[in-house]
Amino acid sequence: MSSVTIEQVRKQYGAVPVIYGVSMDIEDGEFVTLVGPSGCGKSTLLRMLAGLEDISGGEIRIGGRVVNDVAPKERDIAMVFQSYALYPHMTVAQNMGFALKLKGQDKATIDRRVREAADILALEPLLDRLPKQLSGGQRQRVAMGRAIVRHPRVFLFDEPLSNLDAKLRVTMRAEIKELHQRLKTTTVYVTHDQIEAMTMADRIVVMRGGKVEQIGAPLELYDRPANTFVATFIGSPAMNLFEGRIADGSFVTNGGVALPLPSDGKGDAASIYGVRPEHLTIAETGVPANVVVVEPTGSETHVLVQIGSAETTLVLRERLHLDPGQPITIAPDPAKIHLFSSEGVRLN
Amino acid sequence: MSDLAITAMQTELTRERSAIRSLRLVQTACILVIALVIVSPLLMLVVASLKDDRFQILADMGSFRAFWVSNPTLSNFWEVGNFSGELAFGRYLLNSLFILACTVGAGLVVNSMAGFVLAWGSLRGRALVLSLVIALYVIPQESIIMPLVIMVSRAGMTDSFAVQIVPWVASPLYIFLFYQFFAQLPKELFEAAEIDGASVFRIYRSIFLPLSLPALATVSILMGIESWNQYLWPTLVTQTDYARPIAVAIATFFGQDSIYWDRAMAASVLMMLPILALYLAFQRWFVSSFVGSAVKG
Repeated sequence: MSSVTIEQVRKQYGAVPVIYGVSMDIEDGEFVTLVGPSGCGKSTLLRMLAGLEDISGGEIRIGGRVVNDVAPKERDIAMVFQSYALYPHMTVAQNMGFALKLKGQDKATIDRRVREAADILALEPLLDRLPKQLSGGQRQRVAMGRAIVRHPRVFLFDEPLSNLDAKLRVTMRAEIKELHQRLKTTTVYVTHDQIEAMTMADRIVVMRGGKVEQIGAPLELYDRPANTFVATFIGSPAMNLFEGRIADGSFVTNGGVALPLPSDGKGDAASIYGVRPEHLTIAETGVPANVVVVEPTGSETHVLVQIGSAETTLVLRERLHLDPGQPITIAPDPAKIHLFSSEGVRLN
Repeated sequence: MSDLAITAMQTELTRERSAIRSLRLVQTACILVIALVIVSPLLMLVVASLKDDRFQILADMGSFRAFWVSNPTLSNFWEVGNFSGELAFGRYLLNSLFILACTVGAGLVVNSMAGFVLAWGSLRGRALVLSLVIALYVIPQESIIMPLVIMVSRAGMTDSFAVQIVPWVASPLYIFLFYQFFAQLPKELFEAAEIDGASVFRIYRSIFLPLSLPALATVSILMGIESWNQYLWPTLVTQTDYARPIAVAIATFFGQDSIYWDRAMAASVLMMLPILALYLAFQRWFVSSFVGSAVKG
């Protein structure tokens, strides 16, 4: 049993609070991603889970055991750091076997377990090399190897892919996910990259300013964001938001543009109207707009248009020829419209 | 391009090359002069140690003959290289080597541990202790030497090896050097080892100490030179040959009515050789450590 429970956990440095009573339950074998902008407290929360930071209040339980005052080495966790934190003077095999050596395992057991981990991560040819002789991706794999060789109850990843280039990041993302599917070890993964969070996690925890904004499955967060922060943080390009009010059966923006209401008919008190760029289409009838910028990415085209005084982004799968300044008519999908209160809380 | 232009370019190129060559010649000459100035006393010392006539050595001083020996002999070395008797410089040399080895060995352990705790330990008031360590560095050794002499004589430690080793093992300068080196190593290394299950001592021994070879080399050389050149302290705390180091023993030549320059020179060469060997052995690390600390601030 290696579930993780975080209950009303608080952290403050002196008089400055940085985490305000965060609570969550992580199931055994689940892959949970903590995501949020810089300074939201996600890394601090992970470090508290690891035992590298003291807890100012609340309770953390790993496998049902309260670990608030338990030393990191006794929590049965393994952590992969952003900077890899490999021991520079040790070979790959020594790096991976160090924890086992400290546990007093015999040489044969260490060798066997290091080879098993190396086999999983395709590190066998590199076992005798020093970290400085490895590429960024290889170092990252060694850091993961060092973690899995111990068979911990929980894996903690602190932005492990941030130092890699874009292409390698995609490869490593898939490798980590595959590794999790294979080992089924409870994993807590911190990232500021929402794509990483969406593609890897079973559940995502979106944080802002030391508080949890929403917890849910990736598509749940994408389809039904609890507030405007989650709505704009999850999804790229970000959701389009318009401020205004409901009048005469439609949503009238502050710029005087009338937008159709969602088909579920909820959200009478809405003052923010949200629609994702991919849920806007070019139609015969709808909202008049002017093309500002066209960005073809190959698989899709991002189009920035002006609606009244507001700028809005569309994502089109079709390859249409559009020119800056061209007038078009756009229509939102009524089933994919999000309405929020003036405080930014979801209504429909 | 016309032939004329090509010729003009070639002439310009030749002129530049000859200017660079002349500059290099001047640089080499300057370096040679500086090297000669530095090396000449050592050369004079070695040459004099190979002459067996002490009056001749004195007569040769002040002329180029001081740098030349027509009949080199090792007789001076045989005379002073005894392990007992009046000229037991072999024993004094061993005494100095023993004191150096113990001081440097113990000093590396104690100072690196203190530096590590100040950089990474969870000690309360670390900043205050660090400030005190730095403050201690500005106190000259000579100013505390009399209270120290009283302390060690009351403790019955005089005329021993321990009295020449123990007071100089911990040093604010070396603690600070280690502190600076350890503090600039990444925090994640400490944390990764902590999660791997290492105790604080194990992190020091297995991770941080092996990574601090440049600092260890620098401190070894500085401590070695300091210990080797100790003169005032051993003069005050040693009375017999038992633990007398070579630096103090050499000075006895110059208190006599007639100075035996030949023996004094041979004894000086004996004293110089080990520290020169130590420096040459660690020179690469020593230089790289200083460059490193300069770059990393």
